[in-house]
Amino acid sequence: MNLLVSILILAMQLQAAAQSGDKVKLALNWKPECEFGGFYAAQVEGEFSKQNLQVQILEGGSGSPTVQMLATNQVEFAITSAEEIIMAHDRGATKVKALFAIFQTTPLGILTRAERNFSSLKEALQSEGTILWELGLPWVEYVSKLYSPIKVKSAPYKGGVGLFLKDPKVMQQGFIFSEPLLAEAGKVPTKVFNIADTGFNPYTAVLAVNTDYARKNPDIVKRMLKATQAGWRLYLDQPEKTNRYMAELNKAIPFELHQQMAQRQRPLVETAFTKTHGLGVMTTERWQALVDQLLEIKSIKAKPKIQDLFENPTRDEMKPKS
Amino acid sequence: MRNWIPPVLLMLLALALLEIVSFLNWVPAFLLPPPHVLLSSFIELKADLLPAAWQSFYCAFIGFILSAFFGFFLALTLSMSAFLSQGLHPFVVFFQTVPIVAIAPLMVVWFGFGVPTTVASSLIVSFFPVLANSLAGFNSCPKELLELFKIYKASKIKILFYLKIPSAAPFYFASLKVSAGLAVVGTIVGEFVGGGGLGSLIDAAMRQQRADIVFLCAILASGIGLFMISVVGVFEQLMNKWRPLS
Repeated sequence: MNLLVSILILAMQLQAAAQSGDKVKLALNWKPECEFGGFYAAQVEGEFSKQNLQVQILEGGSGSPTVQMLATNQVEFAITSAEEIIMAHDRGATKVKALFAIFQTTPLGILTRAERNFSSLKEALQSEGTILWELGLPWVEYVSKLYSPIKVKSAPYKGGVGLFLKDPKVMQQGFIFSEPLLAEAGKVPTKVFNIADTGFNPYTAVLAVNTDYARKNPDIVKRMLKATQAGWRLYLDQPEKTNRYMAELNKAIPFELHQQMAQRQRPLVETAFTKTHGLGVMTTERWQALVDQLLEIKSIKAKPKIQDLFENPTRDEMKPKS
Repeated sequence: MRNWIPPVLLMLLALALLEIVSFLNWVPAFLLPPPHVLLSSFIELKADLLPAAWQSFYCAFIGFILSAFFGFFLALTLSMSAFLSQGLHPFVVFFQTVPIVAIAPLMVVWFGFGVPTTVASSLIVSFFPVLANSLAGFNSCPKELLELFKIYKASKIKILFYLKIPSAAPFYFASLKVSAGLAVVGTIVGEFVGGGGLGSLIDAAMRQQRADIVFLCAILASGIGLFMISVVGVFEQLMNKWRPLS
């Protein structure tokens, strides 16, 4: 099987070298995982090629500044979050706009040990112990304020589940479809509290574009969106080939785990809303709600114009064909 | 007084240039905030910045003192035994070459969050210059003076206190100035993973896209380093007055 995947990677590289098409860069904000499955599926299954695009997917890591990369024209497209786009506009980096939301429901959650049997997130945050989370992120500020005063000690989260596995009194942030699986692989059952249930439900991962680039190249943007939607459709229906490819790119997560994560993330990506309106479509109401929440926690100083933050440029074309 | 004029003038010129660069939008303010923005952010956030700076100073100072103490005494021990010196050499090199960013997450597992990890990180980064320079100093005492001491049948203690340590002193103080700056670097890296202090503020500020807070923390961290280096310089001058080192 590894030989087959290696041949696939080689074939894709040869194909990329041989093909013509509009070259664009897509910067990810983490390593290849199922949250980017649709983009890798578009690559693996040739959806980018069908749209005459040569997309170079740039792997990210902890703290990848994808919004700044977009705002300074280093890349044409990037994965970022709705909160980051709103904050960027507030700080003066206004040339960033969201085009496609990967998740309709935020995958953010807080993992606790099942043995501690917390009945609610409030109880967990007002218990003894330590919580590992990324201080400064809006959802952390929101949850801290919502359940203030929190008793649990805050500490930086740097990825993985190592400290969570080691210390029963540690809880941590994570994506509800991935970190619990990693903990369970380490033989530690978890109880997860979804951040969406607190009322904070941003578009956590969005495909964004540099607006100057979009103004000059509307056709490329349209084709990128078509390929993205097609890629996500393929990934949702048949993730296996893409997961094998991502497992080669990101050897920290084995293929079987990619498969399980893809299965668990599915209800967050495809909902009743997307079945009517199309994958990736966003609403003004959701963006407005997020802006209001960021103002409430003082992450931003002024209300931006919602139309500057996102658009669904090909809404009619992106509706599922009946 | 005259010595302060050139650096102050240069600093004022640099600040003026930064304001012009921002005003003309050559570099966007969200990447390089102009000085007036930094000043207003400092006034707005000093209640968070100053306690964080104090914590970073505390950890850097403890790490630096530990480096100064252990570096000196280990160098002294190694200078008295060729066997020990050769045996410990690989481990000493480890302290020079270890990428602190790579092992910092492990230190959280070993020492826990907060001050212990930060001090450990500060010590690891600042230890080697003290050890290396002090050892070079101990090994640099003039051979003719050593023979003169032996001719007069001076005891090992007298050779140590009246010859070896005074010979090593200039090297030692030079290493302390380097180590003081590195202690701050190690502290900030430790705080990225262990929490607290300016490192934690920098981490949070990057997520909030607050380049102004990042720059303010960097300036405060530099200030801590400069202060520690100045204290070493003052101490060296006092030592020189009491007993000339060269």
